[in-house]
Amino acid sequence: MFEMNKNQRVSRTRVKICGMTRPQDAVLAAKLGADAIGLVFYEKSPRAVTVEQAQAITQALPAFVTVVGLFVNAEPTLVHNILAQVPLDMLQFHGEEPPDYCLCFDKPYIKALRMRPNVDVQAFAKHYEHAKALLLDSYVKGIKGGTGVVFNWQKIPSHLGKSLIVAGGLTPDNVNQAITTLHPYAVDVSGGVESAKGIKNADKMTAFMREVSMSIAQLFTITDSHNLPDENGHFGPYGGIFVPETLMQPLEELRQAYEHYRNDSAFLAEFHDDLHHFVGRPSPLYHAARWSQQLGGAQIYLKREDLNHTGAHKINNTVGQALLAKRMGKTRVIAETGAGQHGVATATVAARFGMECVVYMGAKDIKRQAINVYRMRLLGAEVRAVNSGSKTLKDALNEAMRDWVTHVDNTFYIIGTVAGPHPYPAMVRDFQAVIGRETRQQIKTQTGRSPDILIACVGGGSNAIGLFSPFLDDKNVAMYGVEAAGEGLETGRHAAPLNCGKPGVLHGNRTYLMTDENGQILETHSISAGLDYPGVGPEHACLKDVGRVEYVAVTDSEALDAFHDLTRIEGIIPALESSHAVAYCKKIAEGRKDKIIVINLSGRGDKDIHTVATHEGISI
Amino acid sequence: MSRLQTCFDNLRTQKRTALIPFITAGDPTPALTVPLMHALVDAGADVIELGIPFSDPMADGPVIQRASERALAAGTGLRDVLDMVKTFREQNQTTPVVLMGYLNPIEIMGYKTFVKTAKSVEVDGVLTVDLPPEELADFGELLRSHAIAPIFLLAPTTTPERIKLICDQTSGYLYYVSLKGVTGSANLDVTAVADKLAEIRQYTDLPIGVGFGIKDAESAASVAKISDAVIVGSALVRLVETEPQQKLLEAIPGLVRELRQAMDA
Repeated sequence: MFEMNKNQRVSRTRVKICGMTRPQDAVLAAKLGADAIGLVFYEKSPRAVTVEQAQAITQALPAFVTVVGLFVNAEPTLVHNILAQVPLDMLQFHGEEPPDYCLCFDKPYIKALRMRPNVDVQAFAKHYEHAKALLLDSYVKGIKGGTGVVFNWQKIPSHLGKSLIVAGGLTPDNVNQAITTLHPYAVDVSGGVESAKGIKNADKMTAFMREVSMSIAQLFTITDSHNLPDENGHFGPYGGIFVPETLMQPLEELRQAYEHYRNDSAFLAEFHDDLHHFVGRPSPLYHAARWSQQLGGAQIYLKREDLNHTGAHKINNTVGQALLAKRMGKTRVIAETGAGQHGVATATVAARFGMECVVYMGAKDIKRQAINVYRMRLLGAEVRAVNSGSKTLKDALNEAMRDWVTHVDNTFYIIGTVAGPHPYPAMVRDFQAVIGRETRQQIKTQTGRSPDILIACVGGGSNAIGLFSPFLDDKNVAMYGVEAAGEGLETGRHAAPLNCGKPGVLHGNRTYLMTDENGQILETHSISAGLDYPGVGPEHACLKDVGRVEYVAVTDSEALDAFHDLTRIEGIIPALESSHAVAYCKKIAEGRKDKIIVINLSGRGDKDIHTVATHEGISI
Repeated sequence: MSRLQTCFDNLRTQKRTALIPFITAGDPTPALTVPLMHALVDAGADVIELGIPFSDPMADGPVIQRASERALAAGTGLRDVLDMVKTFREQNQTTPVVLMGYLNPIEIMGYKTFVKTAKSVEVDGVLTVDLPPEELADFGELLRSHAIAPIFLLAPTTTPERIKLICDQTSGYLYYVSLKGVTGSANLDVTAVADKLAEIRQYTDLPIGVGFGIKDAESAASVAKISDAVIVGSALVRLVETEPQQKLLEAIPGLVRELRQAMDA
């Protein structure tokens, strides 16, 4: 059988507008770009048409619009009779018609499947192997078709092996999300573009078609309107390229490759395909209702990056960079890691793409993140302990840079955060911006409006940029980046360069750093290994200076309290990194009754339970 | 004429290749640095590269990383390094001194303060490993206007376009990194180095020094045949770890003398 490879993936979602009863509606649909219209030949439907109505509609239609006739358990003679009088291109069966029946009219057909609980979509697809496509519709007891209800999209299995048409409750407001979530072959709308049953509304049809084309554009664009960095990688005075000469050319090659592929639809399609099928995106946006109520203020939503494959947002970026590495012909990937999440995410994609993988990790971090070290080794990566300097993330980064300088020919350095030399800060941001793009749509679907406040923890800052970036132009959205105050900002034992540091140059970029008066990098402290870093992404430095994002800090003990709160109240164990964002939310939620806050729950806390237990004097 | 230019002109007349030892200032103790610099000159050093210790030396191999750590542990900051040059100059007015290090300590001190102080203590050149010419901003101009040579690295991966750019921005001498790797790496390939130097010479008349990977008399002698300067660092710094501290003033210049003899042979 002919199978499309990823480079040939279809990039346009088709649209069928169903339930036409008037020629003028059908003509407008065609004019707006609909690919198909549907005529309902089912008496009990409020949108049923007579043969005469159907003839009037088909006569009015221009060329290249597929006319689909919809039937529900009809006698074969009825179908034959209609076919003899109305020029239908295709049949759509909505009842319990068996495969033999569907085939007996010598017309291509679509089989509808109502998504009742426990339905086996895979088996159904196999059963109707000759169907041109499967149309998935909502199941509402007693109603066949046109239910106006959205079914649970998460129930659609991946790799169906059949074209998928999503129907059921689609409207201009949710079609965008349906497309970016499910990547269907086509969407089918009826009630969502009507002003009364069978009467299509011009404004709604226009809005629907516009949303479809916008969502397609979104699906294939990972750049955002935010126009930084400049061509040399500068975010105002920050960012840039501060590396030894040997790395200048490899970085230039990387920049060129990224510039090329960020606009390459096949690359983007493969990236989105992997985010969907491998990572498990979109990640849910969860309303923490009980916790919101307990805090007695704002409504709090959690962007569940902890539910991604490997348990954190890091995988969004490693998938993107690994795809780039593959296209650049690199056979070996290296990474630095602090908490181990980025190391695990890198080892994971390396395993998947069959690449050699070396992960550098500070000896101190290896001790406090033993489980992640073992995970990386299970995945086939070599974990190299770094014993220089403070034996934490910054030293792992130095060591990875040294490795890269030595093996530039075959090695791709997968940096895990929005720091490092250009193009890393921009590239990692673009790969992580999927977090914010999904959040925009999800919060709109769930609450009908934009959020008021976004909160994310900031170490290097990739999860924060990922959430913030698509909202930067939305001036009504306030943003808080939460740094690690460790034992308290006043003690000096923290990891809060934006709160307490000053601009300097480290690891390839100019940014805020924790540095002493001699320009030496200071050792940082945080209970969370992932935030234990003396620098921060240059875009954050810029956002701080221009005042777009407010950078605050919470202490180890505040983060621990928040860790327990969320675990006990919502049944979600957050990573210690993410617990910093949760902790800050606790401080500001009260008294903001009409506000919506979104927290980026960047990772799950399973990796941290030993740290928490040890801190509390419990041995597991 | 600058000290660096005079130095290389003289060497050219004598048909000799410069020997440039690198040591990290303050390693293992600040008190040893100035006496060691004098001893290096006595042993045949033509230029001295003095490393500014930095906490995160990402282009250096383990030997020089540890030298940085020792120097920092002994409390050596950039101001101390500049003071050492000042002390050195009290007895030596002829040997050029080039400071080599990473940008952050200089950036934190402030470009102007740094350049003014460096000028006053008679530093001859500055090589900032993680500062490519693209990011120089006003630092290059500041250095030049104070008659301090901005020195840049060239690498095996440097393209012809960037060779031109780097040569335009450099004065004093060019530092060719002989291999893809960090300081103190494995053996260098002399033929490959010779080829790249020939390419670089199409764009410049500046003297070209070769460093990274020169570890003994033999490699120094072979590089001396194709370059204008042999730069040796890790091989010297390693002695700090293998020799007792009281013997360093003999051991390190001893190796320099050995290299000098091999190069002149």
